[in-house]
Amino acid sequence: MSRVGEARRREAGLMAGFSTGLSLWGDRHFKWLLLAPGIGLILALSVYPLLFSLWVSFVNYDFQIPGHAFVGLKNFSQVVLDPVARWSLVLTVMLSAANVTLEFALGLSLALAMVRPFPGRSLVMSILIIPLFISPVIVGQVWALLLQRPFGPTNYLLGLLLRREVTIGWLSESPWVYFALILSDVWQWTPFMFVILLAGLTSIPPNLYEASELDGIGGWLAFRLITLPLLAPMITLAITFRLLDAIRLFDTIFIMTAGGPGTKTYTSSFYLYTVGFTQFHLSQATAGSWILLVLTAALVSFLVRRLLKAEAV
Amino acid sequence: MSQGAIAGRSGTSPKRRRRRRRPGKGRFVLLGVFLIFLLAPLYWMFITSIKPSDDYLAVPPVWFPSRPTLVHYSAALFAYRGLQGIENSLIISISATALSAFVGTLMAYSFARFETGGKHLSFWVLSQRFLPPIAIVLPVFLIYRTVGLNDTRFGLVIAYTVFTLPVTVWMMFAYFKGVPRSMEDAALVDGCTRWEAFWRVAVPLAAPGIIAAAVFAFIACWTEFFFALVLTSRTAFTLPTVFRAFLGFQGAQYGEASALAVVSLAPSIALGVLAQRHLVRGLTLGAVRG
Repeated sequence: MSRVGEARRREAGLMAGFSTGLSLWGDRHFKWLLLAPGIGLILALSVYPLLFSLWVSFVNYDFQIPGHAFVGLKNFSQVVLDPVARWSLVLTVMLSAANVTLEFALGLSLALAMVRPFPGRSLVMSILIIPLFISPVIVGQVWALLLQRPFGPTNYLLGLLLRREVTIGWLSESPWVYFALILSDVWQWTPFMFVILLAGLTSIPPNLYEASELDGIGGWLAFRLITLPLLAPMITLAITFRLLDAIRLFDTIFIMTAGGPGTKTYTSSFYLYTVGFTQFHLSQATAGSWILLVLTAALVSFLVRRLLKAEAV
Repeated sequence: MSQGAIAGRSGTSPKRRRRRRRPGKGRFVLLGVFLIFLLAPLYWMFITSIKPSDDYLAVPPVWFPSRPTLVHYSAALFAYRGLQGIENSLIISISATALSAFVGTLMAYSFARFETGGKHLSFWVLSQRFLPPIAIVLPVFLIYRTVGLNDTRFGLVIAYTVFTLPVTVWMMFAYFKGVPRSMEDAALVDGCTRWEAFWRVAVPLAAPGIIAAAVFAFIACWTEFFFALVLTSRTAFTLPTVFRAFLGFQGAQYGEASALAVVSLAPSIALGVLAQRHLVRGLTLGAVRG
């Protein structure tokens, strides 16, 4: 009987030892266990796909043709030699620069206008941030409604203003279509700049301005000597984040112009989408997307380095 | 006497007055004009959604529809399958948000408390946010095609989970940094396991941050277009992709498109305005406290 008891006790001890061992092991590797699901997901849906696409970009990947013949750098050279691809990159750079510059200027002006309290400020604040919560597809759709000929009211209002008939094809004629795209982007993303810059402005201690007043410094000079230097890290942050999103421009192009007229409003994302999913040149599209990825990575590391430097100062 | 002189100078000097005048009436003009620029398109969209179709091409345009109608709403929801888009969007966005918030909370806590993997690992997670979506979506499409996940809700849910993960992780990282460590240490001394200290002490304290991060993840999923465009077609399509149906038609579908837009932007705007206190953190991935 005592032997049975002994065995039982030993078993219980073993079990307890096992479970404390398990929880000890769990405690020791706790921090890695917490990371495991997230890292697993990123590996499965980002790292593995990227490696897979690197392979695709070196072969001839075609749904019709079985077996994927290795073609070397042919896919890359096809993209690089395609004038549409080069134009789309130029357009992406120019549109992003125009959008970010305008949004920054407007956003900063709005933030300066909002930094001091006035009656109704919180209501104005709630309205100003609305575009941030709207799908870019809808923004594109709404601006298409406003600009479309003959239904949209834009040409009619311009006609009243200029006292003559206006028949601009905002979504189909060459210089105007860029205005339309910039307009919709500024409409949606100026609030982004505004919100971040306003947070930066409100964090500047007001006694700095009071002290500078005693020294007779105010107005523009105070803005240049106090506001700008103290706001600089925030400006870098806002421009970095905005720029890295601006270069992805796709949704509004898809809805408003579909790349037209011709290929005049192809951005890089839109070009690669078209090559991959309407022409089904998948290998060429993945090769192009790797080029885009490398360019983006260079931009990210440049901007983030500046950002970290600005934060450290 | 000198004190009185300083006080007098700072009160009445012309420079002082100039500084006071600087942000004068001009700022209200700027704000007013910008508010009109912001609200006019939304107003036009709303009245287009309730206008009868014969008002579309009227000259001058009809600014105040006198005979409002809901016919475009029913057409958008039923004929254009907007209702199924809403259902898919809700299921996909809520599932992805829940998954992203849970997995993201675990990661953020590990980064904030133990600095697991050092700066490089957490920056690697952040860098996912800056990858060009086209570079991810092309191979994911091919992989989904072979494993049969194309045009399934599950496929889009896990894609969205990964796509929102950097934001949830970095936002919650900032919140966990703000939770005092001593509370968890006390719990550990009382015999709690690490998991209990995390789940019963740290998570409730960081709950407002977790909810805010989840709200922004939901809005990101609800408004996302590109992944949904490529990875779904006839069954798992989300609300933003329904707008494809209105492309290429001249004139006929203005009302339907506007009605669907009104339905689609209402929930995300409502949620966003409710969570606006956390907006700066959300936009800057927790880098700025706001």
